[in-house]
Amino acid sequence: MSGRYLLNKILQAIVTIVLLVLLNFLLFRMMPGSPERILGRNPNVSAEAIAATRERWGLDKPVLPDQLVAYVSSIAQGDLGFSFVYRGLPVTDVLADRIWPTVILFGLGEIIAIIVGVSLGAYTGWRRGGVIDHVGNGASLVLYATPYFLLGMFLLLVFAVGLGWFPTYGMYTVGATYSGYLDQFTDFAAHLALPLATVALGLIGQYSIVMRSSIVDTLGDEYVTTARAKGLPERQILRQHALPNAMLPMATLIAINLGYVVAGAITVEVVFNWPGLGTLTVDALSARDYPVLQGIFLVLSVSVVVANLLADLAYQYLDPRVKA
Amino acid sequence: MRLPLRGRIAIVTASAGLVLALLLPAAAPATAADPLILRVGTTDTVSTLNPWGVILVVDYEILTLNYDTLVGFGPNVDPVPGFAESWTKSPDGLTWTFKIRPGMKWSDGQPATSEDARWTIQYVLDSVKAGRTLGGGYQEPYITNAGVTGVSAPDPTTLVVTTKFNNPLLLQSYVGILPAHIWSKLDPEKAASSFQNPTPNVGTGPYQVVEYKPGQFVRLQRNPNYWGKQGAADQIVITTFKNQDTMIQALKRGELDYARDVPATQFDQLKSNPGGPIVTVEGISNTFYELAFNCYNKPIPGGGASTKALQDPAFRDALGYAIDKQAIVDKVFQGHAHVGSTQVTPFQAGWHVEPTNLRTFDIAQAKAKLDAAGYPLDSSGRRLDKEGKQITLRLNWPGATEEAQAAQLISSWFGQLGIKVNASPSDSAKLADAILPPEADPPGKANYDMFIWDWVGDPDPTSLLKVFTTKEIGASSDSNWSYPQYDTLFDQQLAESDDAARHAEVGQMQQMVYDQAPYHILYYPSQLDAYRTDRFGGWQNQPSQNGTPLFQFGPIDYTLLTDASAPVATASASAAASAAASAAPSEAAIATAAPSPSQAPSAPASGSGSTPLLLAGVVLLVAAAAIGLFMLRRGRQSAEEE
Repeated sequence: MSGRYLLNKILQAIVTIVLLVLLNFLLFRMMPGSPERILGRNPNVSAEAIAATRERWGLDKPVLPDQLVAYVSSIAQGDLGFSFVYRGLPVTDVLADRIWPTVILFGLGEIIAIIVGVSLGAYTGWRRGGVIDHVGNGASLVLYATPYFLLGMFLLLVFAVGLGWFPTYGMYTVGATYSGYLDQFTDFAAHLALPLATVALGLIGQYSIVMRSSIVDTLGDEYVTTARAKGLPERQILRQHALPNAMLPMATLIAINLGYVVAGAITVEVVFNWPGLGTLTVDALSARDYPVLQGIFLVLSVSVVVANLLADLAYQYLDPRVKA
Repeated sequence: MRLPLRGRIAIVTASAGLVLALLLPAAAPATAADPLILRVGTTDTVSTLNPWGVILVVDYEILTLNYDTLVGFGPNVDPVPGFAESWTKSPDGLTWTFKIRPGMKWSDGQPATSEDARWTIQYVLDSVKAGRTLGGGYQEPYITNAGVTGVSAPDPTTLVVTTKFNNPLLLQSYVGILPAHIWSKLDPEKAASSFQNPTPNVGTGPYQVVEYKPGQFVRLQRNPNYWGKQGAADQIVITTFKNQDTMIQALKRGELDYARDVPATQFDQLKSNPGGPIVTVEGISNTFYELAFNCYNKPIPGGGASTKALQDPAFRDALGYAIDKQAIVDKVFQGHAHVGSTQVTPFQAGWHVEPTNLRTFDIAQAKAKLDAAGYPLDSSGRRLDKEGKQITLRLNWPGATEEAQAAQLISSWFGQLGIKVNASPSDSAKLADAILPPEADPPGKANYDMFIWDWVGDPDPTSLLKVFTTKEIGASSDSNWSYPQYDTLFDQQLAESDDAARHAEVGQMQQMVYDQAPYHILYYPSQLDAYRTDRFGGWQNQPSQNGTPLFQFGPIDYTLLTDASAPVATASASAAASAAASAAPSEAAIATAAPSPSQAPSAPASGSGSTPLLLAGVVLLVAAAAIGLFMLRRGRQSAEEE
């Protein structure tokens, strides 16, 4: 049974990715204007030169089927094409440089937010009405409601410009000479601190609120009453009975959140000039660098599909009913 | 207590993580003295290190630091020695002889000779023949506008260029002289397009790119083989900012020495705090913004302007009286712009000629002029064209908020004349498509009335004069205006040998465009920059009366910088260093020149090279810790159950 469930989910994921690739292709062809036209706003470019550019970028051929066939077949070979803006630099190279900073920033942010948010939410839900509940829940609401951009700018002004504890931009000090890897790591960590805090704080608010209400829901459930009747210690009831059941909505939320990573990434990364996918997206969008944009969208959509697949698999573990 | 298997694995994983963490610092490289780094922030993104792919100002900044132009640009954009140390012109003005500096070397130690210059110019000529564009089409005209017909290198220090025009444009050609020993080995087609020009770059310029992260930053290192004055900075880092606010905060905190394109409100705030280490500079940019009209004068089925009135110079002239340019400058730019007049910006002070009989803002006069030109009001107060149709004009602009505000003002002024304006922003590529007339390939429909857009100029006015010629309809002309007298003047000034005569012709062309009004030039935006004086001194505006210190012409602005921490010694020390090249080993010279004449080994072990390794380490550590924690917890849980 379980094998069939798995197979089913994987098949679904593959079909979704294929549809995404097609959508990705059409979406960018539907945008108005043509990228080589920007060249025309130049007193020195000849008509022949523009025609040559169209040819080089493959824009002279009909969209269907020629451009589509070329697109799909090159994706199948792991070739995402060449960047218009970076003058023929392969898109895979452009992306490779930018994926890791985002993964680190948001990966660590998610981990911190999950640990802190889940514990905070579980605790405040368990001891609802207490001082920590009021303070924690209030803070979570404020953090949840604050846009990343504002939160980031606030942290930057206070901790970087005001107190001078952290640098304002970038991932490391370009051109710095380090006395050792520890020195280098410290530099990196100092640059990471504020953007990471922004991401983590924003997510903590969200996670703790959802976790809190989820725990409160389970508290009224009969198995909790049964556990209490058995005389189990409160701690054990929370950790072994209430928490695993309350984790189900969290798994969904975390998986969905991965989809919003880029939305968050754009604002946080732009504030701190973090060299990740977010800043790359802004750049590619403003310069209509289709190939790079397509690459980013492909990477993001595939990672959302994969994250949801993983969430489905996690359900199996969290909720035995899914297996049946 | 016996730990379950999972508990043991957890401990092993966690300790492996710890050991890894301890090993990382152990593999540390030795360090040298901290280099003096000039940090520059801009909102532009470097497109490429390939000098044949440059388009943006920041691209040219990299080009000019990497490579010498044949003739350089002085403090006032005047011709000074560049790759060539001197030059002479034959009596008929058609043959130029350049003396190339003897003993000059590329940054990789190879000799730099006239052959390199010959190869570069020949490559441009070949590219024109092969239909290749260089620098988005901005590069080859530097050679073709000068009328170059041939180039030869009779000996290593002599370069002879023959031209068909007797003009001085060759002295301003912004083409970087490239090392033939590298570039001649490349496929010519690829050299102009996909070649990435890997770091470290090899040039004769004062700084060479040693590290490039697309979309992030470019790091340059001083070229020990540079023939001219060495700049005080050991390295230059040019960083792209996506957010102007962050850039200004970084400047305030001292993480940047120079910020280009400061927002007007921040600029005023910085300016109101004089005496600090931050200096603001308001230069004039080599840019104008225009209100352009669709002057296309033949019918286009399903396209063209919405009224024939736009073809009438009297109509366009009358509209000019209903544009309060000063109000646009004050309201939209808080005064940080100049009122526009002609297509040659005042930045090109030697060429800009203010037109006679300038229009003054006067709605009543505009109305009277429209009435006189045959555009009466109807009973509902709307202006009619000569076909008896109510005039409604479309107005578009690509993007930015400034244009939107200007468009709003213009709409209300034209509204007072009885002319309705439908104003809407447009995507730049969409607008560029809409402008194209039937002459273009593929043919367009010139389906537009008016738009607000900008042009950026060269040191020489030729390129922006050219936009108005009839030949450019279907190419760069976006007013689709045709005026034979203007075309004649354009050809005449291009071949003009007499400087005074060319000035007169260029002046006439400005007056002509002003009077005929295919464009109303609205404003010349200011270039708002700010810099710190606590690390570097010697900032100099180029040109001195209205320029900014950086992002101008040639690398001179960088080589003039001095080390502010050693104000007395530096000026003379670096002068000595440049005079005696390697003979007088000043402290700065040792730092860069000592390791080897080639650039590659002298690049310091900066973090970036090992960044992927470092990142991998962090990921491993976090993963190990997470897995360890998880397993410990599970282990405890199962222990409790037992």
